[in-house]
Amino acid sequence: MSDKTEREPEIVGFACSYCTFKASEMAGSLRMKYPEKVRVIQVPCSSRVDPAFVIKAIFEGADGVFVSGCHPGDCHFIKGNYYTRRKMAALKEMFKAFSMDGKVKLFWISAAEARRFIEKITNMYNELREEKNAGKKN
Amino acid sequence: MKAGIFICHCGHNIKHTVDVRRLSEYFKKIPGVEVAIDYAFVCSEPGQDIIKESIENKHLDRVVIASCTPSLHGDLFKDLLKKSGINPFYLRRVSIREHCSWVGDDIEANTEKAKRLILSGLYSASHYIPLEEKMVEVNKSALVIGGGVSGLNAALFLAKMGIKVYLVEREEELGGHVRLLNSVWPSKRSGREIVAEMVDELNRLANVDIYTNTTITNFEGFFGNYQVTLKKGEDEKKIIVGGVVVATGFVPFDPSIKPELHYNKDKRIVTTLDLEKGLETLEISKKPRVAILHCIGSRDETIGKSYCSRICCINAIKTAEALKEKYPESYIESFYMDVRAHPKGGEEYFESVQEKGVLFTRGNVAEIIPTDKSIIIRGEDTLLGEVYEKEFDLVVLSIGMSSPVENKALGQLLKISLDKDGFFLEAHIKLRPFDTAVKGIFIAGSCSGPKDAEESINHGKASALKLFGMLNLGYTFVDPFISYVDPKRCSGCRQCEEACIAKAIKFDEKLRIVKVEEAACMGCGLCNATCPSSAISLKGYFDSYISDEISGLLEIA
Repeated sequence: MSDKTEREPEIVGFACSYCTFKASEMAGSLRMKYPEKVRVIQVPCSSRVDPAFVIKAIFEGADGVFVSGCHPGDCHFIKGNYYTRRKMAALKEMFKAFSMDGKVKLFWISAAEARRFIEKITNMYNELREEKNAGKKN
Repeated sequence: MKAGIFICHCGHNIKHTVDVRRLSEYFKKIPGVEVAIDYAFVCSEPGQDIIKESIENKHLDRVVIASCTPSLHGDLFKDLLKKSGINPFYLRRVSIREHCSWVGDDIEANTEKAKRLILSGLYSASHYIPLEEKMVEVNKSALVIGGGVSGLNAALFLAKMGIKVYLVEREEELGGHVRLLNSVWPSKRSGREIVAEMVDELNRLANVDIYTNTTITNFEGFFGNYQVTLKKGEDEKKIIVGGVVVATGFVPFDPSIKPELHYNKDKRIVTTLDLEKGLETLEISKKPRVAILHCIGSRDETIGKSYCSRICCINAIKTAEALKEKYPESYIESFYMDVRAHPKGGEEYFESVQEKGVLFTRGNVAEIIPTDKSIIIRGEDTLLGEVYEKEFDLVVLSIGMSSPVENKALGQLLKISLDKDGFFLEAHIKLRPFDTAVKGIFIAGSCSGPKDAEESINHGKASALKLFGMLNLGYTFVDPFISYVDPKRCSGCRQCEEACIAKAIKFDEKLRIVKVEEAACMGCGLCNATCPSSAISLKGYFDSYISDEISGLLEIA
């Protein structure tokens, strides 16, 4: 990031403590790197994430929000992640009306998938960075 | 609110990429913060003393510890708060190591990130309410899944300590793969003999129930009280156990997955496991030429197995020795990538077999061409940098370990995770190698990754010991993170009742509001996110906690 005027997107993530949060811990232990502007909030299950939290985060300045839970079938609470999937789909549908659906993402990342965690959030970060600096393009 | 913020340097782990001094100076100025200290190791005894003294002298009612990830040292700090006389749920852990200092290199950006993380923790903690942990009795019994050497040793240990043990084995006979071994290095005793000793000892104990030909069909509950359904043929049996040791072991790698090895198509190509049945079955001359191929099903990206199986080098050396002893005139050549004879005495054993005349060539075999007269092997000797092409009468594949496909189903049933190779995942690879993420469920033996017999036995005993420690206490504390209903807000719409996975929410027909059955609530928070009136809340994860955490992360500061 040599260009000082380049804007970096801020990303807030909600991570299930049984899978994605564990993966993020592992990513840390393995000294994998990801942008500092990505910050994770721990929740007991991805289904705890009220769509209102996602809206609040965007309202307060986040450029992107991701919700991440266990792979379908692997939910610690049996099927909490299916509820998450439906909620996020509905939320995305609503955001589409404002062309904001790119700001919200839903991931499935298991406790062992530190690499996948890094890949997913880095991709999201890069996409949003492009968008955030769109005005600078000649 | 009188908050204390304790920022850990973790030696150099955090201090290296986060300006901890700047953080503590910053937080001293925040209203409501009484103490902001950075210290080399907050988890050390002097570190704990600092926290305890600060709580007592400054009458703190919130403690924010910015250090490693919350899953480490969780109970340590909770107990510290208890000892210092405040509710342990006034503690807030902020991960600035795994989620900050270790994942970024830039000091400025990392310090800013750590500041945000601590700030959001502080905001969130400002809403905390005191909670009570519930004490429940623990059932002093254990389920051991798998009757291989690690499972047998776990069962033996637990049974000897007076725990009621249910040992479940899918096969007809106990003993796992060790039972099939002709000789177990380095003792040279037969595996059958070793296993028989263990099984005899187990049979003599009165408090062990052994179920062979049995599988697990249902699994529910929590530590201290797991309800398990066992299925044998058509019969089903329900048992209640306090804890579980999973020791489902491994499956030998099937070389027919790689057609280029010609396994199962040519009688002259066998595996090390086939040879354990005895060398008598081999149809070879008195002066055979034998090639031994290492790393079959290990360290092979093409089949998605990048791990080392740890046992196959010793197995290959052992096979070479056995062949050399039976056929002194034979020509034996071993093709390897690296020889990893890691167990005690392994390196010496490797050298002694070399002295007996077994040749070791560095360079994996690229091609196997069976012909009528012999088997031609081609590859590159990576030490000489030359291509070799040689003829052999027998090819032995030193096969590695794979994870059983059944692990996935069992993992889903028990709610424990698998790693990328299909083995069960440890809670922490170094610090908690026996634990899973689920309290009271332990893993033992090669179900968590390739291990030799000795390691599996040790792993089994260690897991059993850890479980015993938890069971023997006789009680456990249940996290108070369950839902509760604010009767003034509840409109009685019953959306949460419909959503609740655990069926813990019941509608009160008289009051026209819902009620939570505390014992049944799993604490996922789905009802909290579903409620349109914000009437139902998950303790420990209130809307206000998470909402202010978001603000802390994003606020312009």
